[in-house]
Amino acid sequence: MSNITVFAAKKFITMDPNTPEVTHVAVRDGRILALGGKECANEWGSVHHDDRLADTIVMPGLVEGHAHMMAGAVWKYAYVGYHDRIDPSGNLWRGLKDGSAVVAGLAEFADRLDFDEPIVGWGFDPIFLASERLSRIHLDEISSDRPIAIIFSNFHLMCVNSYALEMVGYDQHSNVEGVIKAPDGLPTGELQEMAAMFPIMRRLGIDFRGLSQSPDAILAYAQVAQRAGVTTITDLFSSMEDDDVDVMLRITNDNFPLRIVPVLGAMGDPVSFADKAERLAKRSTDKLRMGAVKLMTDGSIQGWTARVRWPGYLGGQPNGIWNTEPEMIYSLCAEMQARGIQMHIHVNGDQAAEVSLDAIQAALALNPGQGHRHVLQHCQMMDRDLYERAAELGCCVNIFSNHIWYFGDQHVALTLGEGRAARMDAARSALDAGLHIALHSDAPVTPLGPFFTAWCAVNRRTMSDRVLGSAQCLSVSEALYAITMGAAYTLKLDAEIGSISVGKRADFAILGDDPTSIDPMALKDVPVLGTVSGGRVHLL
Amino acid sequence: MSLPLTVIGGYLGAGKTTLINRLLAENHGLRLLILVNDFGAINIDASLIEAAEDDMIALSNGCVCCTMGADLFLAIGDILDRDQLPDHLIVEASGIADPSAIAQVALAEPDLEYGGIVTVVDAIEFDRLSQDTLIGAQVLGQVDVADVVLVSKTEGGLWPNNLDIEALALSDIDALGPLVCDISFTQFRRERSGHPSYIQWQVTDCIKVERSDLIEHLARRPTGLFRLKGFLPAPKEGIWEIQCVGRQVIVRPGTGPIGIVGIGLESRVRMSEINSWWEELNY
Repeated sequence: MSNITVFAAKKFITMDPNTPEVTHVAVRDGRILALGGKECANEWGSVHHDDRLADTIVMPGLVEGHAHMMAGAVWKYAYVGYHDRIDPSGNLWRGLKDGSAVVAGLAEFADRLDFDEPIVGWGFDPIFLASERLSRIHLDEISSDRPIAIIFSNFHLMCVNSYALEMVGYDQHSNVEGVIKAPDGLPTGELQEMAAMFPIMRRLGIDFRGLSQSPDAILAYAQVAQRAGVTTITDLFSSMEDDDVDVMLRITNDNFPLRIVPVLGAMGDPVSFADKAERLAKRSTDKLRMGAVKLMTDGSIQGWTARVRWPGYLGGQPNGIWNTEPEMIYSLCAEMQARGIQMHIHVNGDQAAEVSLDAIQAALALNPGQGHRHVLQHCQMMDRDLYERAAELGCCVNIFSNHIWYFGDQHVALTLGEGRAARMDAARSALDAGLHIALHSDAPVTPLGPFFTAWCAVNRRTMSDRVLGSAQCLSVSEALYAITMGAAYTLKLDAEIGSISVGKRADFAILGDDPTSIDPMALKDVPVLGTVSGGRVHLL
Repeated sequence: MSLPLTVIGGYLGAGKTTLINRLLAENHGLRLLILVNDFGAINIDASLIEAAEDDMIALSNGCVCCTMGADLFLAIGDILDRDQLPDHLIVEASGIADPSAIAQVALAEPDLEYGGIVTVVDAIEFDRLSQDTLIGAQVLGQVDVADVVLVSKTEGGLWPNNLDIEALALSDIDALGPLVCDISFTQFRRERSGHPSYIQWQVTDCIKVERSDLIEHLARRPTGLFRLKGFLPAPKEGIWEIQCVGRQVIVRPGTGPIGIVGIGLESRVRMSEINSWWEELNY
């Protein structure tokens, strides 16, 4: 049989201005050989035709530039969040709208477990619930003879039942800061931050790292990606020990439907992290791209831990925290720039963005040169002037557009106020400054789904259905470009993926509708039927 | 058996590594396990190194120094799951970290015991750093949560003006073991002759006291008496287990031989002061 496959579709939306739309794409050796009509590859020899995609719309495989591996394996626990969500196997989990729904949902999940297995839920977010705060009393209704733990959506808090409290000896005598107590002096069951959660996690076998590095976790991540039409995804703060790399190399073989870009978390000695990044880069394969590093700077806006510029937080809260010393941000930027290592820098607050840009500017003064493509990640409060500086310095930005819908109302009312909330995640300003932009979900913080993310950037609706800052809306074509070519550019993969162009990898998203011709408000509902990765078709 | 955990806090360059180097070299008789961010400035006499790997250095005196990797809590969990525990676990917090966010785990985890927070500040830099608009609040926070504040680089009589809290000059302390780690009564006696800077105090009997009264009294102890540990009889039945490090006062039901032992620095507290404080409890 011929080694050239010609795929037919209702339409390939290529993201390549030379041939914006075609009906046929020819693939050889996992790469795009030709595109056009049915005969497009005849000049290359005999071909065989594949009509499996004939009734679909095809786009370049979508690229998620900011997500975390945990987004797959976390589904081994019961989802108890407020919003509807779909698990890696395609099952819909209905959002739970109040405390009693959470209890009922968990009780149902518990029926499916062995009788002595701990009951663990995730994704709970009290910010959306008007009812009283979740406590051990609610969870005791489900069981009083096995441990129950509900992990909140930010992974910084949990609520446990009385049995679990007893397992770790939390009682009226405990003086641990994160063990929250009721007026009667007894623990409510709510535990805040790692120190207080650690004894529970240890005894219930809840292991955030295991959710990121086991073979099952990697496979589940691929399933989640496939459902979202994503063929290249980051794991944007990876620890990447040698054993982890061995496992990942084994799993990410030719049949694996996803290209993973694990980015090494760098918090500490710049030279040793640069050395490690260089070592990792040498082990990269087509499906596993290593060598970049991630810097943490501040916290989150909704947690009041982001570092913000004047006038600070709406409620007068203290100005956030640094997770890396500004001095160390400078040292890391200097070392990575000197060594030619690309950085992804977490910046939620505008002061964190400013300090990071200062540090990059200083690093460039020491070691000039373009082509670094350092990426500011989240960029939630960057305004025109910060985007202009990012452009001057040759940086790109990856904007957390999903926040507009999920937390936009909270940012107006609680954190930043109307004026700054209306220009959050300012994708329009970023494009106007001439930047290459990507848009992201930060999954599992919000669900992976580039069409939903694009919808947020285009429509800027919040949960209360208002438009937050219409001046910052993108057009549909700009948003679609950002979730393909834009994101590929931020990963330095734009020569290989991001558009359907001759020479690039045959990575496609298979769709049930045409995102360029539907109502922009329907963009989030474009059906994803599967993906093609390196020419191999992976239908759902 | 629970594992005592002490956290070393302090901003970049404050002298945390100097402190750790001294602890590793000191003759305290403890098998310390020290978790550091990186080996960068760890300086160990080559003749003392028994084994070394990428992430671990083992010393002939039984101490081990490890890098913590990306997840400190995971590293702590792994240590607790070992067959043989070290005598004391010491964690070096990163320069910007809130050391109490780590130390709280020792109060939370039943297999750990609170060993305190030691924050190191730099006599030369502290005034500037603590007033810095970007990091001042976090630098001051590290001092606020400390059980013991140690000042480095005090040569020539330097002392930070902005430090309005009881602190000790690192250079005044000839042995760090008793200050940073839990040294048991017997160990302490064995070591004492070489370390005149410490005093030890003990009682073996006590009236029965209500928990809230006991907590209040222990919190009012002379500040120079920075460690207290032992068991006291509870009213009605039972025994209170007592553990005090700096500002941290822990009183909970426990079992053990009645008596308390305390350690203080000779330059900071007199025996008569401690005795009269303890006497007050009997009235």
